[in-house]
Amino acid sequence: MMSWFHRQLAKHGRNLVIAVPMIWLIVFFLAPFFVVFKISFADIARARPPYTPLFSFEDGRLLIALSFENYAYLWDDTLYIKAYWSSIKIAFWSTVFALLIGYPMAYVIARASDTKRNLLLMLVILPFWTSFLLRVYAWIGFLKTQGVINALLLKIGIISEPLIMLQTDFAVYVGIVYTYLPFMILPLYANLTKLDNTLLEAAHDLGASKLMSFLTVTLPLSLPGIIAGCMLVFIPAIGEFVIPALLGGPDTLMIGKVLWTEFFNNRDWPVASAVATAMLILLVIPIMWMRRAAEEEVS
Amino acid sequence: MFFRIMTVLGFIFLYAPIAGLIFYSFNASKLVTVWGGFSTKWYGELFQNAQILGAAWISLKIAFISACISVVLGTLAALVMVRFGRFKGRTLFSGMITAPLVMPEVITGLSLLMLFISLQGLIGWPVGRGLTTIVIAHATFGLAFVAVIVQSRLVDMDQDIEEAAADLGARPVRVFFDITLPSIAPALVSAWLLAFTLSLDDLVIASFVAGPGASTLPMVIFSKVRLGVSPDINALATIMIGMVAVGIFCATIVMLRSSKKES
Amino acid sequence: METSPQLHMTQLDPSTQKPWLNGDVKPFIRIRNLTKKFGDVVAVNNVSLDIYENELFSLLGGSGCGKSTLLRMLAGFETPTEGTIEIDGQDMSHVAAHERPTNMMFQSYALFPHMNVAKNVGYGLRRDGLPKAEIDERVSEMLKLVQLEGYGKRKPSQLSGGQRQRVALARALIKRPKLLLLDEPLGALDKKLREETQFELINIQESLGVTFIVVTHDQEEAMTLSTRIGVMDIGTIAQIGEPQEVYEFPQTRYVADFIGSVNMFEGRVKKDSPNAVIIDSVDAGIDIHVPHGVSCSPNQKLWFALRPEKFEITATKPKATKNVIKGVVEDIAYLGGQSVYLVRLSGGKLVRTVRANRDRGAEKPITWEQTVYLTWAPSAGVVLTA
Repeated sequence: MMSWFHRQLAKHGRNLVIAVPMIWLIVFFLAPFFVVFKISFADIARARPPYTPLFSFEDGRLLIALSFENYAYLWDDTLYIKAYWSSIKIAFWSTVFALLIGYPMAYVIARASDTKRNLLLMLVILPFWTSFLLRVYAWIGFLKTQGVINALLLKIGIISEPLIMLQTDFAVYVGIVYTYLPFMILPLYANLTKLDNTLLEAAHDLGASKLMSFLTVTLPLSLPGIIAGCMLVFIPAIGEFVIPALLGGPDTLMIGKVLWTEFFNNRDWPVASAVATAMLILLVIPIMWMRRAAEEEVS
Repeated sequence: MFFRIMTVLGFIFLYAPIAGLIFYSFNASKLVTVWGGFSTKWYGELFQNAQILGAAWISLKIAFISACISVVLGTLAALVMVRFGRFKGRTLFSGMITAPLVMPEVITGLSLLMLFISLQGLIGWPVGRGLTTIVIAHATFGLAFVAVIVQSRLVDMDQDIEEAAADLGARPVRVFFDITLPSIAPALVSAWLLAFTLSLDDLVIASFVAGPGASTLPMVIFSKVRLGVSPDINALATIMIGMVAVGIFCATIVMLRSSKKES
Repeated sequence: METSPQLHMTQLDPSTQKPWLNGDVKPFIRIRNLTKKFGDVVAVNNVSLDIYENELFSLLGGSGCGKSTLLRMLAGFETPTEGTIEIDGQDMSHVAAHERPTNMMFQSYALFPHMNVAKNVGYGLRRDGLPKAEIDERVSEMLKLVQLEGYGKRKPSQLSGGQRQRVALARALIKRPKLLLLDEPLGALDKKLREETQFELINIQESLGVTFIVVTHDQEEAMTLSTRIGVMDIGTIAQIGEPQEVYEFPQTRYVADFIGSVNMFEGRVKKDSPNAVIIDSVDAGIDIHVPHGVSCSPNQKLWFALRPEKFEITATKPKATKNVIKGVVEDIAYLGGQSVYLVRLSGGKLVRTVRANRDRGAEKPITWEQTVYLTWAPSAGVVLTA
């Protein structure tokens, strides 16, 4: 027979298992967003913490001081809106390039023989396990004016003057595509390996050329993989900080960098919070979209 | 075919910068355009740099602890998602597990810092920010990654053996430790490694939630490389790449050997 | 639905051999009004069933008939939507799977891949907290019983399918459960192994005195193994009975068709009296005379079921005048021990008959496209109203 402990565990064990991660996530993932939301309505102040309190008691009455100034500020100062659009644009095109490079790679890997495939996969995953920061840093040496690429091109004679590649938007594109490429390849690969070869054979049998059967059979069927890969690149890329910070220039506008600057350089926590809240709202729809696509893939 | 060419170019693209780092870590000259001869002096400098070494130690500690916490929490979360069916709040739970995977780090970092400060004001904990807060932050996003990996393994797993164990008299907790855990063990290992790596590598979140005196390795690296190329960082990078390569090599051998055993 | 005459029971004492005939014996397993719904789908529909101790009871049916769901409810892996299960007088409604006096042998065997054979077999005893020495002893005893002595250290991945099946059996039996549930136990074995194992299973069951409930879709297996068979159809029990009863006296067309082969002649009641019935059958092309009464309404549609082995097939017209059908042999299958003749009647119906090849090389064997006459003993067929 069960002891009292075991009986309690049996009755409540299930709820306990759900509760532990749930509570952790609510406290350390969900609640922070509400705190940020709340602070976005405060004013910057010379205090610790450096913002005005929202709730205060005066003469026994509760005063709520909500300041919508920060949001108005975001709207008025075109910097922020420009930064949002710029982030979306950069993330979008980076995703496209990553797809154009990553799809052929995923395709070749998926069709390779077993041993080759494992080797190739390992080669794709290996950079992913090395430090993100260091890999971005590596490009500095390549892209700078006295860098490897310029030296090479000058030596061969293709150019006569070094190209300005570092501290430009171009460098940011390179950086994002480079670091997020494995995130594009892996979902594509997972999808393409499940592709039934007999479908292609059927298409050939019915008279389709190789190109045609690729366009009409393989491509449509790999759509879930494409969407997954794109979401895994696009959404985080919008909020990127490290890549624009190290590779981009002063006029490279990305919202992640703006938030950082607002926080660390200007010490304006309320504005940073407003930026973060606005970003969150912007991203909610793509995130939900991605989750729906992921769930459909599973079922 | 055209795809093949793209693939070769793609791999060159992936590995050129890494090769560059390794190459230049042995370059006696600081400049990338000049080859000053083979030298390991940058490695020497690296091992004498107390700041870097100290930060590395802190990062390793944080990574280890937060990876362990992530694995525990993430496994529980995966169990809940795969084996527990419907319950109140399941949609919320599911969303909270997947969102950290794509949430931009600046948002996570900022919001967690705000939380810690508010908590400090409300209940007096955490006192200041440092190791603890970074560990909590890393454990939270590590949780999401662990959950994804463990979930996929749980779904593939043959559930019959769990039922068989219960049928033979094992209580649910027993079934988990006797049967489920050994079955998902490989997934747990790779999940731990992933959480460890992500923690070791994190710059943004750590920058927000760290306090004075707790500088992680990425934070130190970042402050150095903002100013340009730094050869001792090249050396550090080469060491880290080497360790990862050795690790993956060993892992592949282990996997091949175990799959050979099964057939 | 009285369609058969009084059953003549065998000479064995019913009270010990066939407890279901003895009103004094209490059923070991009582299932009452058991229903299981998955959303809108009703997998098990209001099933009530009594199973007696030491029976080897089979639940027989095609896929989707609910037999596996029923088994899983007995094991405790599914909670009934309605109804109760009682095992040895104890209500199982709030008893979890790991506390039930049942053990299950899974269709996939479900051996623990990370444990060797001995550890697999001894798992249940370890959960009971028995001392190690005793566990080791009982494990080797069990391995001997299933003829796997010396295999203790092997891992499941190193065993053949038949060996794995025996490990699964040993593991399930070692706790001497009151009830052993077997889910398609022989499905994964090849034919010869299956036949050998069938008899082994029966021996083990009889020597250990454990009640077995077997789920299977293989009616030959059910017939070989069982003391009684419960034929299931879409969530309900179509008929329960001993193998002979279910085979010779099916109560519905479904049961008649599921077990073995059967020829179904559709017809209408032409004349009904307490001792005889005449069925006008277009299928057969003649009037079928049945030597007993059928309780039904006048002109009701009926089916006359005749199994292939019940026919007598001759090339010359038989002397009998009633119950004789004429047809042409369309196909013959020579199976060594018997021959199957497919005979096409003038009305178009194809009849399947089977005849033992008792003469080696008969002088005038029946051949293709030959005209033949089929007849049968008066009570060889079964009249079915459903």
